[in-house]
Amino acid sequence: MPKADLDNENPTILNVSQLPSRRQKTRSARNGPDSKYDHLLFPKQSWPWAPSKTTSSWPSDDDEDEAMEDAYNDEYTEEPIDEQEIYDLISTISDPEHPHTLGQLSVVRLPDIYVTPSPTERLDPQSLRTVLVELTPTINHCSLATVIGLAVRARLEQALPPNYRVDVRMKDGSHAQDDQVNKQLADKERVAAALENDTLRGMLDKMLETCA
Amino acid sequence: MASFKDWALQYVLADEDTTKRGIVAKAAKEIEDSRASSAVVGNWAASVQQWLSTAHASDGDQMDDGDDGDDALNGDIIARAKALSFLADTLEALDRSALRTDQVLRLVGFFGAMFSYDHKAGITASAKALRQLYSMKNFKPDMGAKMIEAVCKIKEDFRLQTAPTRLELYELFLSLIQDPAVSSELQHKYGTSNGFIVDLLQLCQQERDPRNLMVWFKILATLLADYAPSQELTEEIFKTFSAYFPISLRTSATPTGITAEDLKAAVRSCFAAHQRVASLAFPFLMQKLDQGDAVTVAVKVDILRTIKACVENYDHPQTSVVPYIEKIWNSLKYEVRNGEAKETIDATLDVLRAIAIKLDGTKTQKLDVALLKDYIDLVFHDCRDDLSNPTYTKQAGLLLMTVITANIRAYVLENGGFVDCIRQNLRQPKSPSHTRDLLLLINSDLKSRSELVKNRREGHPGDEALLQTEPRAHLDTLFHDVYLPIWVARVEDPDSETVDILKKVTQGLALLISQQVVGSDGQVSLLCSGAICAEVCSLLTQSIVKGLTLSSNDNLANDTALEDEAVLALRTVVTSYTDGYADLANRAKAEIRKREWIYPSQYSLDALKDLLCRLAFIGCSEIPSSVAIDSSTPKSFSPLQHFITLAATLFDLFPLSSPAGPARFTSPLKEPLANSYVISALHSSILHFRDACEAKYPREALASTSGNDSSWFDGFRDLPDDWLQQLQGNGLSDGALDSLSEDDPEVYRQFLRISLFIVRHLYRAASSGAQIPWSERVLAQVGNIAALVVRDLDEKLQLSSNLAFEAFNFFNNSTETSLQQSPAKPLTELLTLGILEGLWPGAMAGLYAPQGIAETFMCDTSNLGPFPSRVSEIRAAIGAVLANKYKGGPSTSDPELQTLRKVLDFWGNQIKLGTTSIDIDTNTFGAYNTIAMYVIAGATARQDKAVLELVPLLHEAIASQHLNGEAVAHSMGILVKGNDLLTTENHAVVKRFYKQWAYGHMAKPLYDRALPTADNDHWAAMRYTTAILSIVSNCPFKVYEDDLEPLIRLLITTLGSRTGLSRQTSRRQVAAALEVLVEILLNEPEALKGHLKAIIGGAINVHQECSLEHADRFKYQVKNATRTSDLYLVTCRKLVLQLLGALPTKFEDRHLLPYSLQMKRMLATASGDPVREVRKVALLARGHWEKVV
Repeated sequence: MPKADLDNENPTILNVSQLPSRRQKTRSARNGPDSKYDHLLFPKQSWPWAPSKTTSSWPSDDDEDEAMEDAYNDEYTEEPIDEQEIYDLISTISDPEHPHTLGQLSVVRLPDIYVTPSPTERLDPQSLRTVLVELTPTINHCSLATVIGLAVRARLEQALPPNYRVDVRMKDGSHAQDDQVNKQLADKERVAAALENDTLRGMLDKMLETCA
Repeated sequence: MASFKDWALQYVLADEDTTKRGIVAKAAKEIEDSRASSAVVGNWAASVQQWLSTAHASDGDQMDDGDDGDDALNGDIIARAKALSFLADTLEALDRSALRTDQVLRLVGFFGAMFSYDHKAGITASAKALRQLYSMKNFKPDMGAKMIEAVCKIKEDFRLQTAPTRLELYELFLSLIQDPAVSSELQHKYGTSNGFIVDLLQLCQQERDPRNLMVWFKILATLLADYAPSQELTEEIFKTFSAYFPISLRTSATPTGITAEDLKAAVRSCFAAHQRVASLAFPFLMQKLDQGDAVTVAVKVDILRTIKACVENYDHPQTSVVPYIEKIWNSLKYEVRNGEAKETIDATLDVLRAIAIKLDGTKTQKLDVALLKDYIDLVFHDCRDDLSNPTYTKQAGLLLMTVITANIRAYVLENGGFVDCIRQNLRQPKSPSHTRDLLLLINSDLKSRSELVKNRREGHPGDEALLQTEPRAHLDTLFHDVYLPIWVARVEDPDSETVDILKKVTQGLALLISQQVVGSDGQVSLLCSGAICAEVCSLLTQSIVKGLTLSSNDNLANDTALEDEAVLALRTVVTSYTDGYADLANRAKAEIRKREWIYPSQYSLDALKDLLCRLAFIGCSEIPSSVAIDSSTPKSFSPLQHFITLAATLFDLFPLSSPAGPARFTSPLKEPLANSYVISALHSSILHFRDACEAKYPREALASTSGNDSSWFDGFRDLPDDWLQQLQGNGLSDGALDSLSEDDPEVYRQFLRISLFIVRHLYRAASSGAQIPWSERVLAQVGNIAALVVRDLDEKLQLSSNLAFEAFNFFNNSTETSLQQSPAKPLTELLTLGILEGLWPGAMAGLYAPQGIAETFMCDTSNLGPFPSRVSEIRAAIGAVLANKYKGGPSTSDPELQTLRKVLDFWGNQIKLGTTSIDIDTNTFGAYNTIAMYVIAGATARQDKAVLELVPLLHEAIASQHLNGEAVAHSMGILVKGNDLLTTENHAVVKRFYKQWAYGHMAKPLYDRALPTADNDHWAAMRYTTAILSIVSNCPFKVYEDDLEPLIRLLITTLGSRTGLSRQTSRRQVAAALEVLVEILLNEPEALKGHLKAIIGGAINVHQECSLEHADRFKYQVKNATRTSDLYLVTCRKLVLQLLGALPTKFEDRHLLPYSLQMKRMLATASGDPVREVRKVALLARGHWEKVV
């Protein structure tokens, strides 16, 4: 696309390290110059080669091995799908105009993602939940707002389990024609038709390429 | 005599190179045998006459006919060329001294004439012949001149020759003009006009072959440098090579092995060949550079490097370089000031630095100081204003730094002005980033200064004297004038921008303290006074002890970047200002003591951990050097001082709390942690110091025994336990340490000696019987320290220190070394393990005497306690080490190889008993089985034949009806599982292919028995499957790749049915099966192709089962807040998704299409998995299957 066609030639771009991520929430292990040997000095278990780790000679049903408990706590804790996870799914989508992601351009923002009922409520895993994503276009007359909305919708539908309903909207007042855009994005038939369109599909695929 | 003619004919007709070589060898021998009589040489030369005589006639014809001559004619040319090659090859085979001068002369004439007459057939052979003649002993310089003359007659036809022929001639030219005798002959003959050069230039213009160009450029460079061509001729030569600039290389189908870089370097050497082209080269290069945007980065770099080469190589810089400096500077400064590409900026700075170095003079002779001063003033004048402009500060500083720190003279001359200029700007900075850039410049300036001082002896002898007179006022005041005010103003409330500035200040302080000055007597001392050093130290210390001095509410800083910087800075500081470390350690000790460690909070624990780790890193990760603080007080300093200080401090601190009684410890987790951190710090200091030694001293430093090995360890016996504290505190002198200089490799050995003393001290204390503070964590840590130290000692030292026995005796001074029966605490066996882990097999030989310590220990089944227990695990680990490092045989204490056999028999019996008798309960058997398997694993790694005798017994046990058989089957994997104890780093004996060996004997025979058929025992088949999976899942793919067919069948069966096993085992088994399937899919997907349906079906079933079970748990445990779920459920789900998700990447869509819908449905559900990690895998899998259409 030639430069002159850009709706917003000079958007504000956030550094990747400034984006919200799960890492910042939990205080990560310190990684200073002196931490080279931390794995040896402060092992999770008092001895790293504990024989019981995976080939314990006796299987017992009642008590889990300490080692497994550790590995389990690290990697395998049960965590519901939360706003941050939704953010991670869609913030890596590329902008159709700029060589940046929606997260970097603040089109997708963590506080504008809502999961209802709240993920902290423990419900039956099969119960219905709704994800609402409010997008903020970089400028309020952005002509590509629908395409971005479509991409977000497509990505979430590809990635979330069937019991999640997806709702994508423009944030109130962020777009000159947010009503119309919202209507388009909410209309299932139009969305389905759009996804059948080869040109549009190609564009979406390109935007979704950067999603891990 | 007629033989030459025959040989020539044979040669012409021959096709094989070997035949040809045989013929010319015969001819050469004939000539040598006749001592090159005129007749023989004449005959030899005449032997090709028949081809030559027709040549002239037909040559003429052909000229008339043009180029479309018929085949016969071409045949003639080929034959003639071959005939001449016969002569040339004979010359090559001939002894260099065989021919007489007149014969050489005649041959030169003969072959030289070919260049006038026979351009088609004669040139290749003649060129070769001439090169051979040049190498003859009787070659005379005037013949060289003749050769050049003759060859130049070929004129335009030169470029019609093939490239290899031309290469021959270029090589000939190069040899001739580089030959001093020929060269003087040429200059004598042609005088200053050097007419032959003109001929050469005409001959060789338009050369394009890269290989030839390489030689041609070398010729041109030689001509310029050695032949003193006239001004006009110099211009001609310059035109010839500058026409190629900037040179590039097209990629060719037949690579010559010459790269574009080679060509660039060759052209560059022409430019830099001699200062007589200076007046042409500089303007030419500057003009190329100033073309603006048309020049690419690569070309720009090429130009800049060429300029640099010129500056470096030209002599008489006053006339060759100085006149062009201003022009060069004016062109180049913008490359840095406004430049964007790093390569060009670097290359530009290289040029500017090269000029400064050139103007300083050489190692032996200095140039007039005014030249250098004028140059720097020129740079200074242009850059001064930019320093106050935040946009250009960095660039201007870079330019100035480059020229000022290029050499010592420039530095001494101009640095004061530069630093003052920065200081003025720092007083009125335009923005925080301006401050940061200016600080960066001062820091780099200090860094460069260190380099200059360090290398002061490498240049002109006057340099060191110059450094002695260096004005230092501007440096002395840096701390109080620059760094301190900036620090004080910002340290209280740093935001992200000021953190950057503070970091720069921190780095700067470290650099400042490490600055050295050269005194008038040549002695080196620190630039800063002791008071300033101490102040800097305390300033930096403040930020690392902050964690402990503040409470968790006050210490809000989440970002540790600044603290980390302070740690690095302190490390640099204490390597120079060595007194600082003791203060630092004392301060830390005082802060730690101030806190209560009986019930510490998590915050305190974290702070303690950070502080101790940093302390260890600061003092021990670099070997300190002994530099006096000021020249008046030289002092003695041991490179091990910091290490000793830290160890003594930590011993003082340990244990952190001295409780009234063990009953007070209601919080079992926290107290040992604080104490274990102290031991961790000790461990860390040894690790860091060891790294520092490894980096500084050659590895052989340890091998060289200095003869006092026996006293090495015995010396400890008389030392008091607080020896280290004494050593640190009141300067108790230890002869071995005092005389050490930091470059002496003995430091490494002494370090190990002190470390061993530390180990001894810890072992004695730990085995004294007290429960507190010797928790399991602390004991394991102490064991690790011992392993680390012992590992580094060579076998001799380990033996002389009697370490094998100390492993069981814990360095207690009892005279007899025997196995302590039922030690006070079973966990002290961790200490035994620590030492054994690091021993060489040779140093342990004494343990294996029949009925000796090793045997008793390995067969000890007392005090095992309930299973699973630490005791059995530790004993299993020790058993593995003992069984592995076993060295029996005639020369050892177990000449009959009895010990290990007995041990294996013992455990074999235990397993047999356990799986046949109902008396042994599962718990006891679990403990026995663990030890047995580890002992066998130790022997397996060594491929001990005695293990094979156990195989039938093991197989029997696996298949037994007894419940314990399942435990045996399940633990078979231990035998091949990688084990940190059994590594070559720990001097274990690990055979390269032991896993194949074990697999071949243990698992392979079971495949047939593992498949359930009508006539074999279904029960046993299940057990065999368990055993196979246990082994296979612990082996790399290569081990079992030959048995994929039966293995895959087994795996699919496992996914399908799991009756007859306990629930936990069946789940583990499924997990193992999935793991192996993933491995096979990665390495050899083809093998799975025929089984896709079964695999996909089985895997989906497993997933459903696991999900359902999870859902059930969810239903019944809704109120359970801990939410522990079964690890195997999660692992299985994840593995299923990994396996299925990777299928589309390995198989074509047509194989997968039938399952696509089913898979997509399943994956959609799976992406709602409760575990995030599993969801990630599901998402990836979904992406892969999405593409299957």
